[in-house]
Amino acid sequence: MEFITFKDLNKLRSIINAISTGIEVKEIIDSAGTTLAGLFDFSVFGVLLKEGPTLHLFQEETCPPDFTQAVVKNMLKVFSVLEEEPIEMERLTLRVEKGKWKNRQRVMDPQASLKSHLTLPLVIEGEIIGCTSINSDQANMYNISRLQFFSVFGYQMAASLRHIQRFSTVKKEAIYDPLTNLFNRRHFEEALSLETKKALEGESNLSLIMVDIDHFKRVNDTFGHDGGDEVLRKVASLLKNSVRQHDTVARYGGEEFVLLLPGATLDPTSTVAERIRRLVESTPFNMGQTQIRMTVSLGISNFPAHRVRSKEELVKMADLALYEAKRGGRNRVCIYQG
Amino acid sequence: MKEGKEEKFSSDLISDLYTTLLRDIWESVSAWIGESLLTLLFHLAIRKIGEKYPFLNASRVSEEGLVLDEVKKGCRNLPPSEIHRGFQSLINQLSHLFSALTEGVITKELLPKVLPKVREAERMVSRK
Repeated sequence: MEFITFKDLNKLRSIINAISTGIEVKEIIDSAGTTLAGLFDFSVFGVLLKEGPTLHLFQEETCPPDFTQAVVKNMLKVFSVLEEEPIEMERLTLRVEKGKWKNRQRVMDPQASLKSHLTLPLVIEGEIIGCTSINSDQANMYNISRLQFFSVFGYQMAASLRHIQRFSTVKKEAIYDPLTNLFNRRHFEEALSLETKKALEGESNLSLIMVDIDHFKRVNDTFGHDGGDEVLRKVASLLKNSVRQHDTVARYGGEEFVLLLPGATLDPTSTVAERIRRLVESTPFNMGQTQIRMTVSLGISNFPAHRVRSKEELVKMADLALYEAKRGGRNRVCIYQG
Repeated sequence: MKEGKEEKFSSDLISDLYTTLLRDIWESVSAWIGESLLTLLFHLAIRKIGEKYPFLNASRVSEEGLVLDEVKKGCRNLPPSEIHRGFQSLINQLSHLFSALTEGVITKELLPKVLPKVREAERMVSRK
């Protein structure tokens, strides 16, 4: 019978403290991997997360690949026993981090096999979010007291991971528009401040395109708000697919969208805007049994072409250009004329 | 008539024996892995074994503990051998889960408690 010592309890407190303060999954797992070695003797520490699914392994530098594979297989096996639904190996993202435990000088045998493990589900409010394990190449490495410590660790790990999941949901809700999944206006304002500052200080190009759906009210009046929402979602998707990955596409409000194109000069910006205009014009929108056509009007402003001095001016100029496009008959692209 | 009463008596004895054993298992294992994980494992085991032995589905498992009063009531109308097989399967399934998670760590500690009780139940059933 092994007695739990104050030293062990203090180590457990340190581990819990380390994993409670992280704000990212990787940070928590790395903290756990480095601090756990003070309390447990293991060759590989693993965290399998259902979301993804992703398996994070934190292993000794000398851990042979066969041993790693055995741990992966075992964790998947245990998880399938718990979830009664297997995770296919092909779907799994494997992230391996190698470390050197201070208290262990031993080099692992290249033929080492998995001889002991403790694998516990990560459970929060009755839901399994994954599992965690410590694995050793030594037989009978773990006993009841190590299991007790590991289960306390597992509960804290699950709670920390759940906090992160909730935090990322809140973060997502704070920057995305729920209907279109584009960035919301608040996030756009932040991106605009950042990019305008960069452009003004570095004198690099920055373009802004304002987009407004033509006669959107008619859609709402004819097909109701569900029809209107469908049009907004589809236009949003077309916009998103028409720009580069580092461009910002946001819902500015109502049926108005905004695109921020860092580094883009006036010519390629006009090309992008014209491509969007044609794409929307040629795309059929299904409203139940009926198929309708939509168009958009677009206004463009650019730094330095329009001698913009602030972010507000950049927006105002694009807005004026959009007004011109509307006034000129809609379904057209207008560049700000100072 | 007399035989029916005797069988009912045996059923009560066997269900008493197993419900006490399950509560002992709960007491021990919850101290090792916590009530939340243990609740999950009991739910998994009951769901699986309850398909073949529906009387086990009356078990109430939560982090507060294990309540088997309804199971005991349900056992009164079952033959002792059926009760024995049902509980034995449940304990085997729990052991299987414990082993999958911790290899022999839990089962090694539990075996000295569980084996004598299962044997006692076997004797009671065979005496019948």
